[in-house]
Amino acid sequence: MGRLLEHHSKQLLKEMGITVPLYEVAASAVEAEEAARRIGKPVVLKALVPVGKRGKAGAIKFADTPQEAALRAGELLGITVRHFPVEKVLVEEKLDVAQEWYLSITYDKSRQAPVIIASTRGGVDVEELSRSYPGEMVIHHVDPFEGLPGFRAREIWADLGVGGKLLGAAGALLSKLYATFDRYDAYLLEVNPLVVTTGGELVAAAAVMSVDDSAMYRQSRLADMVQLGSERAWRPLTELEKKMVEVNESDPYRGTARYTEMPGGDIGFMCGGGGGSLLCFDTLMSLGGRPANYSEVGGNPPEAKVYGLTKGILSKPGVKGLFVAHNITNNTQVDVLARGIIRALEELNINPTTFPVVVREAGVNDAIARELFTAAGVEYYGDEVTLTEACARMVARMKEVYGEGGQP
Amino acid sequence: MGILIDRHSRIVIQGITGREASMVTKHTLAYGTRIVAGVTPGKGGQEVHGVPVYDTLKAACREHQPDTSLIYVPPAFVYDAVAEAVANGIKLILIPTENVPQKDAVKCLNLARRAGVRVIGPNSVGMINPGERVKLGAIGGDNVERCFVPGPVGVISRSGGMTAETSWMIKRAGYGVSTSVSIGGDALIGSTIKDLLALFEADPQTRAVVVFSEPGTSQEEEAAAFIQERGFTKPLIAYIAGRFTENMPEGTVFGHAAALISGNYGRPSLKAARLREAGAHVLENFDDLIPTLKQILG
Repeated sequence: MGRLLEHHSKQLLKEMGITVPLYEVAASAVEAEEAARRIGKPVVLKALVPVGKRGKAGAIKFADTPQEAALRAGELLGITVRHFPVEKVLVEEKLDVAQEWYLSITYDKSRQAPVIIASTRGGVDVEELSRSYPGEMVIHHVDPFEGLPGFRAREIWADLGVGGKLLGAAGALLSKLYATFDRYDAYLLEVNPLVVTTGGELVAAAAVMSVDDSAMYRQSRLADMVQLGSERAWRPLTELEKKMVEVNESDPYRGTARYTEMPGGDIGFMCGGGGGSLLCFDTLMSLGGRPANYSEVGGNPPEAKVYGLTKGILSKPGVKGLFVAHNITNNTQVDVLARGIIRALEELNINPTTFPVVVREAGVNDAIARELFTAAGVEYYGDEVTLTEACARMVARMKEVYGEGGQP
Repeated sequence: MGILIDRHSRIVIQGITGREASMVTKHTLAYGTRIVAGVTPGKGGQEVHGVPVYDTLKAACREHQPDTSLIYVPPAFVYDAVAEAVANGIKLILIPTENVPQKDAVKCLNLARRAGVRVIGPNSVGMINPGERVKLGAIGGDNVERCFVPGPVGVISRSGGMTAETSWMIKRAGYGVSTSVSIGGDALIGSTIKDLLALFEADPQTRAVVVFSEPGTSQEEEAAAFIQERGFTKPLIAYIAGRFTENMPEGTVFGHAAALISGNYGRPSLKAARLREAGAHVLENFDDLIPTLKQILG
């Protein structure tokens, strides 16, 4: 999934006929001041970063005048909120709030259905809501074939005690929010607070939206709003990670090669598939090894992808060895893996006698892989050893070459 | 015996003329599994390695009465294929496709459940019953016996690749498998660990079950509860990969509303603790599988 920045979510809500505050995006204090002047009211300034709970992180500020908006924007720009540097701020009209409500739509994976959580107590996070006011929440599971007809939306608010004129408006708003969630293949749409203004209008004051990246092929509208690969990181993608996303996307329909940079480490980690990678990473760590990255390679990738990923893995500073392993493959051709890996090693002039490389690859065409790796001087194992035994060999080789502490 | 598939299974492959489906057909037939028909719209009348191809599943059903379907179609067409299978009375569907949009997955799973149709996957590499020489999906590739030989152990794996590796470890320990099932790596899947434990409980061939797990979902917690309710009474051995992810900064998983709804689940250490509490053997190292099996099965 990929998380949208708030101005993008609000743009989409607006297009669906949902009222949002007046807003502008500013990249400097001067721009923020001008934006506040155009808005012509006290404003809220929010760091545009793809993380939640920005209020708690000090990433939301208020300003009564354009001058103050410039000051507050200056304070936000350049700080880092949960690993994300603030490059832009959202300058928004401050609403005249009568009530704050809570609304979210996501998937309940256990019940295998979309679920709506609504409350007339907003402005606090959903954990707090469920802890302190469980009686003031409605949890409604949506029938995926029925969707959310108007009467259901009204029932949700009516159960929370909403009545009068507001009920019709709240029902219509919820229907539109569900339509937005459905139309854009969202994984999460959270509006908190959903503000009832003193004028009796309902406004989506804050919107958090993330979308299902598996559905991007039918969501061209979202193409520029979501960064590919961003769903796997807890921080912005590093330059190396961006390069590896490019390597993977260069041939999007054949095999996967995913890469995540880990802090520190000295073992280049070239493993797959999903479960095998998790197992090998845990095992290397438990044996005292220090993987420098995480990776998942699978689905029978072409040689070019394997080569590109291997080069990337080896290019991280501090990498002094390479561990290559998969579960016994069902369809991934390990001779193709071998060719890609060996090409990268040769191009980088890596000598496996002084730079530990341990391979455990068994499966389709492994007899050829054995010949290729052996000819290249690489310590190769097929299904004569287990994954755990191969991990132990890698850690032992690092010690042999670099000594106990890891320094040569 | 074994679960879900046996030599009486009447298998149809939807999307049989695709590159991968055609290769899987070849390997499956070579293994000795019967495939009664294939379906690809517009390619009716052709054959894939001798298997007759029909334009519609309806026509294939008329001629061959399949009860099990392997759906080899790209993500965008999975929902339609599942709906076609359900509409034509298929009872067991396996979906290997990866990256099915979750909105579509939810519709597939709800549609099948309402019709009483069992789904394995999406994102499953397949399942195999080696005692009956029946396999469904790419599982085992062209060298099935390397990993899968008949025996008393059931395998349930959330990782496709590790379905093979786990079965191979069981063979290395001197045993074999009753049925190995890759249940799919996605959060939204048709049959969970608990669902299959119920089937393995009833299978006389199965004396113990090995589960390969990963972080996320509440399947292990549900399985632990199921054991405590005496729904599954045979020995269960579990390995939960991905312990290192617990020490990563938060943010790789987000959407706290979803986390709230699913409960505070997902952490390997909590899963391990729950399974141990229920009496399962939770492995620290994957290699411990071999001595543990020997100790249990004798």
